[in-house]
Amino acid sequence: MIAAVETAPAPAAMPRPALGMIDLLLRDRERMLARIHQGTDLAAIMRTMIATIAVTMAIVGATLGSYRGGVQIAYAAIKLPIVLLGTAALSAPALSAIGAALGRRSRLSADLALVMAALAFGSLLLVACTPLIMLGRSVDLDYHRMILAVVAMFAVAGAAALRMICRGVALEAAPGWRTAVVGLCVVFSLVGGQLAWALRPYLVRPRAPEVMFLREVEGSLFDSVTGAMRSARGIYERDAAPLGTAAP
Amino acid sequence: MSVATQAPFPVPRGLAIALAAAGPVAAGGILAARAHDASPMLAAPAIVFGVVAATGPALYIATAAAGNAPPLAAVIRAFGIALGAFGLALSGLILPAAFVSLSSVSVATTVAVTSGVVAIAGYLGLRRLASELRAGGTGDVLGGASLAGGIVFVIWAIATASIAGRLWWDLAVEVVS
Repeated sequence: MIAAVETAPAPAAMPRPALGMIDLLLRDRERMLARIHQGTDLAAIMRTMIATIAVTMAIVGATLGSYRGGVQIAYAAIKLPIVLLGTAALSAPALSAIGAALGRRSRLSADLALVMAALAFGSLLLVACTPLIMLGRSVDLDYHRMILAVVAMFAVAGAAALRMICRGVALEAAPGWRTAVVGLCVVFSLVGGQLAWALRPYLVRPRAPEVMFLREVEGSLFDSVTGAMRSARGIYERDAAPLGTAAP
Repeated sequence: MSVATQAPFPVPRGLAIALAAAGPVAAGGILAARAHDASPMLAAPAIVFGVVAATGPALYIATAAAGNAPPLAAVIRAFGIALGAFGLALSGLILPAAFVSLSSVSVATTVAVTSGVVAIAGYLGLRRLASELRAGGTGDVLGGASLAGGIVFVIWAIATASIAGRLWWDLAVEVVS
């Protein structure tokens, strides 16, 4: 009896459900994946994960924006959560659809929860990297090195999120799960790349005289990459690059 | 045999086959929106169903001649499931394709993206057809022991995909040029 009283958790020590879910995501992803696989509390998981992505990516965006400072902090804080949530909403159904086409027992809500949980985990890793971004700003790391550092951070977070998706889908051991994950990666890369491209810039040079919320609609990311490759081979589509104005 | 009684999709098969018609209409619609020409919306499903109708009997005849005589009903059922798989896959890919296409001003992006999603869905449909022929119905249509059956299927799949791909490419180039 005494032992039972001693081992019972104190009500005051219980974390709030949303915070408990984030804690579970960070500490015990196997249990989180099992809950998603069993379809337990999917709506609550989705709500918590969407809120987590929105808040953490806003923090990451604001930190990136602080490299330039001023209104760019707010712009990047607004745009970065939109990029990730919009990409997830457009891409997650591909996981269900490709899996279903190959005979996997897919549930759109469970797949959405899995993708959101994985992205929330990646977002939490990114928010853990924000001190490094601030360190770069404080030691006046040059623009291109800062870009490379940010790309490396996003690559690590993206790989962690992808690993979680793979483990979540592999739990089912359903036919075609590998193809479904590869399909999701392709669609996610295309949509994420294009949405991020359409909503750029996020990281702006400190000396930039003015910043804009969005650039004009141009060709796609694919067009830009092919254009850059042509320029690298000495094939230019205009006579000269525009000249910048000298900094005061 | 449990495979025969198991539902092939998480949605009714009729809906999956309806998606096989609606998906190409939507893919053609993306192309039509860029080219300001509605013809791809009709031509795309016509290519899908027309090519399958034209080449499907050849697969049955060739596998039968190769010594794997499948019951006709099993082959028809496998084609129905494969078309449903094509439609389901396309239903998940069409929204991202529409976004990528409409958020770019480049015609080449539209052609590349719509062609890509139709090709991916086509590949998944062919893969499902192969697995249904192998595992469904009699369980011996493209049995693992039959190398000839497998070769026939691969040749048929390459020919069918090439014909459909060529027709789609000609359509896309014509409407955007």
